[in-house]
Amino acid sequence: MLVVKSVSKIYGEGTNRVVALNNVSLEAAKGDFIAVMGHSGSGKSTLLNIIGGLDYPSSGEVILDGRRIDAMNEDALVDIRRGRITYVFQQYHLLPSLTALENVLLPLTFRGTNNGTQRALDMLARVGLDKRAGHKPGQLSGGEQQRVAIARALVNDPALILADEPTGNMDQKTGMEILELFRQLHREGHSIIMVTHNPEIARHAGEIIVLQDGQIANRVEQGRSRNNEH
Amino acid sequence: MELHRLVAKDVMRRKRRVLYAVLGVVIGIMTVISILTVALAAESRIYEQLEEYGANLVVIPAVSQLDLELGGLGLGSLTVGQNYIPEGKVSLVRQITDDMINHSLGIQDERDRYAAPVSPKLYVSSEVRGVSVMVVGIDPEEERRMKTWWRIREGEYLDGTDQALLGALAAELLELNAGDSIVLNGFDMTVAGILRETGSNDDYQIFVPIRMAQEAVDREGMVSSIDVRALCIACPVEDIADEINMMVPGVRAVAVKQIAMTEMGMMDRINRFMLALAGITLAVGMFGVVNTMTTSVHERIRDIGIMRAVGASRNQIVRTFIYEAIIVGILGGVLGFLAGTLLAYGIGPLIFPGVSVGYVPGYLPLSLALAIVVAVAATLYPAFRATRIRVADSFRSL
Repeated sequence: MLVVKSVSKIYGEGTNRVVALNNVSLEAAKGDFIAVMGHSGSGKSTLLNIIGGLDYPSSGEVILDGRRIDAMNEDALVDIRRGRITYVFQQYHLLPSLTALENVLLPLTFRGTNNGTQRALDMLARVGLDKRAGHKPGQLSGGEQQRVAIARALVNDPALILADEPTGNMDQKTGMEILELFRQLHREGHSIIMVTHNPEIARHAGEIIVLQDGQIANRVEQGRSRNNEH
Repeated sequence: MELHRLVAKDVMRRKRRVLYAVLGVVIGIMTVISILTVALAAESRIYEQLEEYGANLVVIPAVSQLDLELGGLGLGSLTVGQNYIPEGKVSLVRQITDDMINHSLGIQDERDRYAAPVSPKLYVSSEVRGVSVMVVGIDPEEERRMKTWWRIREGEYLDGTDQALLGALAAELLELNAGDSIVLNGFDMTVAGILRETGSNDDYQIFVPIRMAQEAVDREGMVSSIDVRALCIACPVEDIADEINMMVPGVRAVAVKQIAMTEMGMMDRINRFMLALAGITLAVGMFGVVNTMTTSVHERIRDIGIMRAVGASRNQIVRTFIYEAIIVGILGGVLGFLAGTLLAYGIGPLIFPGVSVGYVPGYLPLSLALAIVVAVAATLYPAFRATRIRVADSFRSL
C-alpha cells in the first residue's frame, strides 16, 4: 500500500545544512501497525510529515497505492487528506472554538458533507466520548482530547492513520488507554504508522523502525499478523 | 456544519481580536462618512448663501445707440430698437433656460424638472406724495423665488392687484405704513407691506404687480427686463445666454459671469478637497485594517494548519477569512456610519458655522459596501500568504 523509497530531507544550506532524513526506505501493507522510534531530533516526525504529504522530501519517493505523494500538487493532496491518510498529533490539534462533536465533523465539513452529525456521534461513541460531545477542548482532559482527535481521524474512514507521539503528553495510564484504542483500530483493519519513544508502546506494533540521525538504525519485525498477539 | 458557522464560532471566541479589526474599519469609515455628511450639509448651506446673489442672467432689450456725426460735428445719438421686451418672450426665455438646465443636470422625468426663477420686470418712474420714486412692476411669485432673502417687516407680501410693497427706505421717506393708501399715476393702491432693509436698491423702490405698472404707463404686454436665476453646479449660464441671444430676437441676454464662476469654482474646489480628504483617510484606515488582519491571520497559522491537515483546501481557508472579513466589514460599516454621523453633528458646525447637519440614510449602504470591500481587500493577501505555508511548518511555528 505504502512505499517509501530512499527519502532524504535536508534543511538549510552550506554550514547551516541539517540532514533530517538520510536515505530512508520502508514499506507498509494494508493492516500493518508500524512503530517509528528514535530520540528527539532523529527525524521521526519529519518522516511522518513526508509520508502524509504535510512536508516535501528533498529527494526520494513516497508512493501510496501506486501514486506518488511527494510529487502531488496541493489539490491532489487535499483529496488524499480527505480520505486516504489522516493524522493524530501529539498536541491533539483540535480547534478550540468548536465542541468535540464539531471538531469531529470538521473533515466532513471540508468535504462538503453537511449531514454527518450521526456519523460524527458514532465516531465519538467509538472512542467512548459520546457523552461529552458538547464539550469544548478546554473542558476536556488530555486523554479525552486525544480521543476526540482520533474520532476526527476516523470519521473519513482513512486507509492509513499517521500518529505522531499520540501518547507523548499523557501519564502512563492514560497513554496505555489511548494505545489500547489504537490496537483496537488496528484489529479492525486500520493501517497505522505511529511515532513513539516509548518502547512499551512500540512493543505492540508489528514492526519497529528505529531512526538515528536520520537513518534507519534498526528494524524489528514482530510478525506481520499482530492480531494473534494476545 | 457549514463553513460560515465555523467562522461565526471562531469569531465569537476571538471577540477581542475581531473587535480590533472592526475598530480599524470603523475609524476609516467614520471619517469618510463624517466628511461626506458635513460636505453635503455645507453644500446646501453654500447654496443657500449663494442664493442671495440673486439673478445671474439678465435679459434686456437689444437697444443700440448710434452716434450721428456730420463732418466731425456731433449730432447726438439715435436710439435704434425698443426699450421694452414683449411679454410673450418671457415664456420663451423660461423654456430655453429650464431646458438647458435640466439637460445639463440629466433630469429626464417631468416631475423632477427643475424650474429656474424667471422674473420679468417693468421699471416705471413715478411720483408719490410729491417725491419721485422708482416703481417696479414684478411677478410677485417669481420675484419671491428670486429674492429668497426678502423679509416682510410690516404687513404682508403682495397678494392682490391694487397693492404695493415698499422698500424700507422708501417707506421711511414717504412716511408710509402698511394699510395706507397711495396714488400711483392716478391709480389708487394700498400698501400691503414693507420690506426689511436689504442694503440694495430694493430699499428705495416700490413694488407693484406688473399688470398695474403696465396699465399705469400704458405699456400693456411690455417688460423692461427679465431676471433669470440659473444657479447650480452644472448650470451653463453662459451657454444659456448664448442660446437666448440666438433664439430670441430683439433681446440681449447677459450672463453675470462673476457670480456664476465664483460659485461653480467654489463648490468644485470644496468637493474636490473633501473627496481627497476622504480618500486619504480611507487609505490610512485600510492600512490599519491590513495590519490587524495580518496579525489575525498570523495568530491562526496553527488553526490553518489543523484545518488543512483534516482536509481543507486552500480555497476553503481563504473563504473562511473572507467570511470573517465580511463580518468585520458589516460591523465596521454600521458602526462607522453611526460614528461618522455623530462626528459630523459634532464638527459640522465648527467647520461651517450655521450649517445644519442632517444624517444621510443613503450613506449607510455606501459605508457597508466600502467597509466590506476594505475588510475583504485587507484580508485577501495575508490569507492567501497563510495558505502557502507548508502544513508541517504551520505546526512548527508555535
